Amino acid sequence: MTQFVLAGVLGLLFAFGAFLVLRRDIVRVVWGVTIISQAANVYLVTMGGLAGSVPILGHGPPDDPATITDPLVQALVLTAIVISFGTTAFALVLTYRIHEEHGTIDLRELGETGGES
Amino acid sequence: MSLVALPTAIAEASTTGQLGTGAATLAQATADPAGMALFAALALPFLGALVTPLIYRALGERTAWFAALVALASFGLVASQFGTTGSVSVDWIPTLGVSLTLYLDGLSLLISLLASGVGVLVFTYSAGYMHGEPGQARYYGTLLAFMGSMLGVALAADLIALFVFWELTSITSFGLIGHYRESESSLYAARKSMLITVSGGLFMLVGFVLLAFVSGDALGSTTFTLIGTPDSMIANADAMRTALESAGLFVPVLVLVAIGAAAKSAQVPLHVWLPNAMEAPTPVSAFLHSATMVKAGVYLIGRMRPLLVGDEWMLLLGTLGLVTMTVTALLAVGASDIKELLAYSTASHLGLITAGFGFANQLGAETGAFHILNHALFKATLFLVAGIIAHEAGTRVISELGGLRHDLPITGIITAIAALGMAGVPPFNGFFSKELLFESAYEVAHELGGLAWLFPAVAVFGSVFTFLYSIRFLWLFMGEKPAALGEVHRPSLALLAPPVVLAGLAMIVGIDPQLAVDTIVQSAFGSAVAGEAHTMSIHLPTELTPAVAMSAITILSGIVLSPFYDRLRDGVRRLTHGPLSADWYYDNAVYGLERASGLALPRIQTGQFRTYAAWMLGVTSLLALAGYLAAGVSIPAFADLSITAPVVIVLLVAIVGAAAVTRAPSHIAGVLTLSVLGFMVALFYVLSSAPDLALTQLVVETLVLVIFLLVLNRLPAFYGDADRGTVARDALLAGGVGLTVTISVLVATTGSPDAIARFFVERAPVPAEHGSILADFGGGSNIVNVILVDFRAFDTMGEISVVAMAALGVLTLVAMRGRGESS
Amino acid sequence: MSVITRTVTRVVFPLILLTALALLFQGHNLPGGGFIAGVLTVAAFALVYIVNGLDYLQEDLLGRSGEDVEGGPAIVADFLTVFAGGLAIAAGGGVAAILLGRPFLSQAVVFLHDLPIFGELELASAFVFDLGVYLVVVGGLLTILTVVGDE
Repeated sequence: MTQFVLAGVLGLLFAFGAFLVLRRDIVRVVWGVTIISQAANVYLVTMGGLAGSVPILGHGPPDDPATITDPLVQALVLTAIVISFGTTAFALVLTYRIHEEHGTIDLRELGETGGES
Repeated sequence: MSLVALPTAIAEASTTGQLGTGAATLAQATADPAGMALFAALALPFLGALVTPLIYRALGERTAWFAALVALASFGLVASQFGTTGSVSVDWIPTLGVSLTLYLDGLSLLISLLASGVGVLVFTYSAGYMHGEPGQARYYGTLLAFMGSMLGVALAADLIALFVFWELTSITSFGLIGHYRESESSLYAARKSMLITVSGGLFMLVGFVLLAFVSGDALGSTTFTLIGTPDSMIANADAMRTALESAGLFVPVLVLVAIGAAAKSAQVPLHVWLPNAMEAPTPVSAFLHSATMVKAGVYLIGRMRPLLVGDEWMLLLGTLGLVTMTVTALLAVGASDIKELLAYSTASHLGLITAGFGFANQLGAETGAFHILNHALFKATLFLVAGIIAHEAGTRVISELGGLRHDLPITGIITAIAALGMAGVPPFNGFFSKELLFESAYEVAHELGGLAWLFPAVAVFGSVFTFLYSIRFLWLFMGEKPAALGEVHRPSLALLAPPVVLAGLAMIVGIDPQLAVDTIVQSAFGSAVAGEAHTMSIHLPTELTPAVAMSAITILSGIVLSPFYDRLRDGVRRLTHGPLSADWYYDNAVYGLERASGLALPRIQTGQFRTYAAWMLGVTSLLALAGYLAAGVSIPAFADLSITAPVVIVLLVAIVGAAAVTRAPSHIAGVLTLSVLGFMVALFYVLSSAPDLALTQLVVETLVLVIFLLVLNRLPAFYGDADRGTVARDALLAGGVGLTVTISVLVATTGSPDAIARFFVERAPVPAEHGSILADFGGGSNIVNVILVDFRAFDTMGEISVVAMAALGVLTLVAMRGRGESS
Repeated sequence: MSVITRTVTRVVFPLILLTALALLFQGHNLPGGGFIAGVLTVAAFALVYIVNGLDYLQEDLLGRSGEDVEGGPAIVADFLTVFAGGLAIAAGGGVAAILLGRPFLSQAVVFLHDLPIFGELELASAFVFDLGVYLVVVGGLLTILTVVGDE
C-alpha cells in the first residue's frame, strides 16, 4: 500500500510541475522546473529505502550493511540540490535579461514575435 | 605496443618497409606480418590527409605527386608483407575488450594492394586531370583518407574496426562524389550514395552485434574478433554456425550482413547510387568503381563466406548476384553517357563477383577472388580512358563519339585490351574469371537440378549484354568520326601512363593467368573458403566443356545481337521509366520524407515554448507508457517500503504547497509557497535518514528564496493567463505526465539496487585492521561524503564544474549586455 | 534595517562561518562536507548582504575597493578567483594521484600515530578535494548572488 501513497505523491508533484511549465509566464516555468527537480530528488531518496539507518558509521564497517540507507542516492541528490540552485539562478537571470531586452516575460508574445521586439 | 608509440613506429617502418620490399617476398608463407608495416601502411594515408592542406600551400597542384608518394609508400609497406598471414594488434578500448587488430591474409592483401596500387595511379592521373580544378587541397586530402579507410576495411580483424572504417569510406566518398559543390546533381549524388551506403552499414552493424552476441554462447566469451586469433569467429566457424542456428539468428545475420554488402557493392535494388556517383571527378570514379568502395562490399562477402556459407547463403547471394549482373548489364546497354555505361557495368561485374562468392562450391570462391583482381584492372583502365575522352574530346555522350582511334591510338589499344577483358573474350583477363563463374554455376545446377538450372541460364543471359556494351564502348574508337566532333587533343603523359600500366597488367593476366593465380589469387581464394582450398589451375580451355560452350553461346549471341544494339538500347530506355526505374523508389521515398517533415515541422516547432514543452512531455510520457506496455511490466504489490505517519503528513503539506504554487495570484505569493514545498522536502530528508541532504536543502532553499526575491523585484507582475480551454488541455497533459510518473515509480520500486550500496557501505569506513596508509578504502564514516570525494570524485568534479559554469553564465549574461547584436 | 538586526547579524555572521568550517572539516566522518559548508558560507554572506548592503560587504567586511569589473562589482573578481582556485585544487589533487601512479582522483588516507595531543590522527587526501568543492561552491554561488543583487 505504501508505495502507492508515494507514487501518488510523486505523480501529483510532477503533474503540478508540468502544468507550470506550460504557462506563458517565464517565472512560472522556472517554478515548474524547480518543482519537477525537487520531486525527482525525493524520488531518488525513496529509491534508497526509507527504513534504514543514517549512513554514518562508527569506527569500522557495520555488522549488517543491509540496515543502512542507500548512501549512493543521497550523494547523487546532494549534488543535484546544489546544481539545481545554480541552474535556477541562471534561469532567473536569463528571465531578467529577457525582460530587459524585450520588455516582456510573456512567452507567447516572445514566440509570436520570434524574439524580435 | 601502445598507440602512443605509433608515430615513431611509423617513421621507422616507412624506411624499413621500402628497403624490405624486395627481400620480404622470400619470406615463408606462414610467417607473421610485421605489425609496424601494417599499422604504418594504414596510418600513412590518414597522416598524409592531415598534412595535405599544408602541403598544398607549399606545392600547389604538385600535391598530386605527394599523394601518389604516400600511396606508393603504403603500397610498398603492404607489399613488403607479401606472403605473410596473421594478425597484429594494439589495445583500443581495453575496458570493452575492443582492440585495433589488423589481419593480413590473401584476400586482405589483394584488396589492400589494389586499393593502394590503383591509388598511386589515380593520384598520378589526377595530376593531369585535375589541372585548374577548384578545391584541390580538399580533393587530395579526402582521397587519401578514402584510400586509408579502404585499407582499414581490408585489414581490420575485428568487427568494430571494420564497421568504423566501412562507414569512413562512406563519409569520405560523400566528400569526393560531392566534390563539385556548386552542381546540384553532384550534391544529389553525394547525398544519395551517403544515405544508401551508410544505412546499409547500419544494417550490417546490427548483424555484427548479433554475431558478437552469439559468440558469447559459441566461444565462451563475447568477442568482436572476426578473424586472426584462435578464439575468433572464423577460427570457430562451425561452433558459431551451430550457435547461430540454435538461436534462430542465422538467417537474420545473413540478411543483415548481405544488406550492408549489397548497399556498398551496388547490388539490385540498392544499385541506384552508383550511376549517380559518376558526378565525381573521373579519377575518383575510376578509384571508387574499381579498387575501393564497391569492392568493400564484395570483400565483406568473401570475408564472411567461411563463416556463413551454406544453402541459405547460396540462395540469397547467388540469386542477388546474378539478378544484379543481368539487370544492370541491361541498364548499361541503355546508357547514353560513357561514364554511365561504365557505372552500370561496375554494378554488373560486382554482381558477378557476388554470385561467385555466393555459390557454395570452391569454383565459386575462385570466381570471386579472381574477378576482384580482373575487374579492378579493366574497370580502372576504362574509367581512366573515359576521363581521357571527356577531357580531350569535350563530351561523354555515346552517340556523339566515334572513330577516336585516329586521334587517340594508344588509348585505343588499351581500351581494346580492357574492353575485351570486360566482354569475356579469350584470351583477355575477364574471360578466365567468367569461365570460372560458368563452371561454378553449372556445377551447382548439375548437383541440385531443377530450378538451380536457372543459375547458369541467367549467367549466360546476363553475359550476353555484358558483351554487347563492352563492344559498344570499344566502338567509340572504331567507325567514322562524327562531323560534329571537334578536334581531339593528345592526352598528356600523366593521363596516359596510369591506364597503360593497368592495361599492361590486364594483358599479362590474360596471357598468363596462372602467373596471377600463383602470385596472389590462390591465397585470396583460400581466405574465402571454409576448410582446405584446392589448388587453382587456370589456362585456356583446350576441349569443349559446358563452360566453354556457355562462353561460346555468349559471344556468338553477342555478335548476332550487336547490329540491333540501338533497338535494344531504346527498348531498355522505354522500360526504365516510372515505377520500373529504381530511382523512382528512392526519389519518392526521399520526397515523401521531406514532405512529411515539412508538414510536421510547423506543428512541432512553432517558436512557442509551450509547444516544445508539450511535445516533449507528451511524447516522453507516451513512449514510456508504450515501453511498459510492450515489455509487459507488472505493478508489484509489496509492502517493503514502510511510510510512517510523519512522512505522510510532510508529503501532504508538500503537495498542498505545490498545488498552491500553480494557483498563486502573484509572483511573491508563488515564491513563498514554493519554499513551503522546499522546506517540506528538507523535512522529508530528515525523516528518511539523510542528514546531509536535509542540511543542504534547508540552506539552499533559503538562498533560492533570496535570489527569487531579488530578481522578482525587477520583473513586472504578470497575470495574463490562458483561457479555460488552454488550462483544461494543459491540465490533461500534466495529468498524463503525473500518471506516467506514478506508474514509473511503482514499476521501479521492484528493482533493488542493493549491490552497489552494499559495496559503498563496506568500503567507505576505516576497516578494523589497517596499515598507516589506506588507499583501497574510503577511510571515512560519512559514507555520503566518502562517495562524493572518493569513490565518485570524478562525478563530483563534473558537478562542481556545472556550478562554476552557472556562475560564469550568470556573469556573462549580465556582462554581455550592450554588446553585440542586442535588438 | 534596524540596529537590532544589524547587531544580531554582526554576532551571528562569524558563528555561521564557524559552523560552516566545522562542517567542512568534520565532513569525512560526520554530517557535513564541501557542498554543505559551501552553501552555509554563502548563506552567511547573503545575510550580511541583505542586512547591510553590498558596499558594506565589499568594503568593510572584505576590504575590497576599486573599480567595478565588467558585469558586476569589484568583489566579483575575487569570487571568480575563489572558484577557479577551487577547481584547480580539486583537479590538481586528482593529477597528483596520477603522478603517484594511481587513477585520476584516487584518494588515500594516512594515519599518524603517537602525536602529542591527538594520539592517532587520520589525514585523508580527500579533504583536499573537499576543500576544492567548498571553494567552487562558495565562489560560484557568491558570484551569482552578487551579480544578481547588484542589478
